[in-house]
Amino acid sequence: MASVAGTAFAVSVRPPRRLQQVSNHLSGLKSVSFTSQRKSFVSIRSAPRFRISCAAKPETLEKVCSIVKKQLALAENALVTGESTFVQLGADSLDTVEVVMGLEEEFGISVEEENAQTIQTVQDAADMIEILLEKKNAA
Amino acid sequence: MESGVRRWLVNVSLWNPSVDQFASVVSLLPEDEQRTITKYMKFDDRKRALVSRLLQYSIVHEVLGIPYDKIIIHRTLEGKPYLINGIGSPFSNFNFNVSHHGDYVGIASDPLCLVGLDIVSIMIPEQTTEHEFMSNFSSYLTALEWKNIAKTGTSEVKLCEFYRYWCLKEAFVKATGAGLGFGFHRLEFHHKNWTDISVYIDGIESREWKFSLYKIDERHWASIARGLANGADEQFDASLPVAEVGFIQRTVDQLIQSRSHGAQQNSC
Repeated sequence: MASVAGTAFAVSVRPPRRLQQVSNHLSGLKSVSFTSQRKSFVSIRSAPRFRISCAAKPETLEKVCSIVKKQLALAENALVTGESTFVQLGADSLDTVEVVMGLEEEFGISVEEENAQTIQTVQDAADMIEILLEKKNAA
Repeated sequence: MESGVRRWLVNVSLWNPSVDQFASVVSLLPEDEQRTITKYMKFDDRKRALVSRLLQYSIVHEVLGIPYDKIIIHRTLEGKPYLINGIGSPFSNFNFNVSHHGDYVGIASDPLCLVGLDIVSIMIPEQTTEHEFMSNFSSYLTALEWKNIAKTGTSEVKLCEFYRYWCLKEAFVKATGAGLGFGFHRLEFHHKNWTDISVYIDGIESREWKFSLYKIDERHWASIARGLANGADEQFDASLPVAEVGFIQRTVDQLIQSRSHGAQQNSC
């Protein structure tokens, strides 16, 4: 319950401190270094992880999900999303190759071996397919 | 004297816990490991993931003597597990590798060399022929390797040969931690009836890597890759121990019991 105190509501006018704080902050800044957020620890990276800036169309992702379910013998109603990793879905390295082959056949594209081996999530696969489809259609 | 070398196998088809039993074993592990295990869609994969982790913590505890609740295992970007808080000499390079396929989960450790383990279960998807199956992987083996496979015999034998090559390549990339994206076609394995196995990387024979193959049972094989890390101490280069130790079969119950035994010791 709001209670109104007897004292008048006073608006205090003070010089804006913000600007002063900012300039203090700036002068106190040391040189900024941008550290890479992805650090590789004990591993040897031999091929860059396939990274795409645009995501696959929803239809592509849906088709990929259904092919993946079939290839990995998952139930029709199994929850497979873009974030699902092939490992979580039960695929080993052999399965991943076969899934990629299945996707190649279905979409009429060709994925290079190094790229195929870097696919970790269903989204990765869909994004890669989208790019390859665009290239193919542009040709 | 502790050598730091272990080769363990667990036949997970022999372990059939109830839902509750499974959950209680999962709860023995650190929380982030528990979360990863429960993310697997199929129960068999969760089982293998759990046993794989039990093996990892057991091996570290047994070889290095670190109490179970102090062991910290992280994973590289590529997913290779490694120990954060190891001990110093003579086990400063202690590393291990796990693998699972079919009925088996295995672990291998080495005090000095990088070690990679891969287990394969020789099988093909239903309604596929051996030939159809292997053709999926045509770009992963070299022309010479395919030629050697073609020379062998029946399709079953060819399939077994294929799996041996695959197994060796996997063990290598797992040992180096290169993981996915290495490019299997860059590796070519030479051997004399599957002994004296050596690898050619990008056409050049590597003197630093030794391989061995084991038949676990009629349908399962394991391969071990051992090699020197880049920039390893020169004094070790010629003395890579050639003899390989065999695998010891463990059970899940043993792994669980050794944890409670370890905990009791620490609480005294």
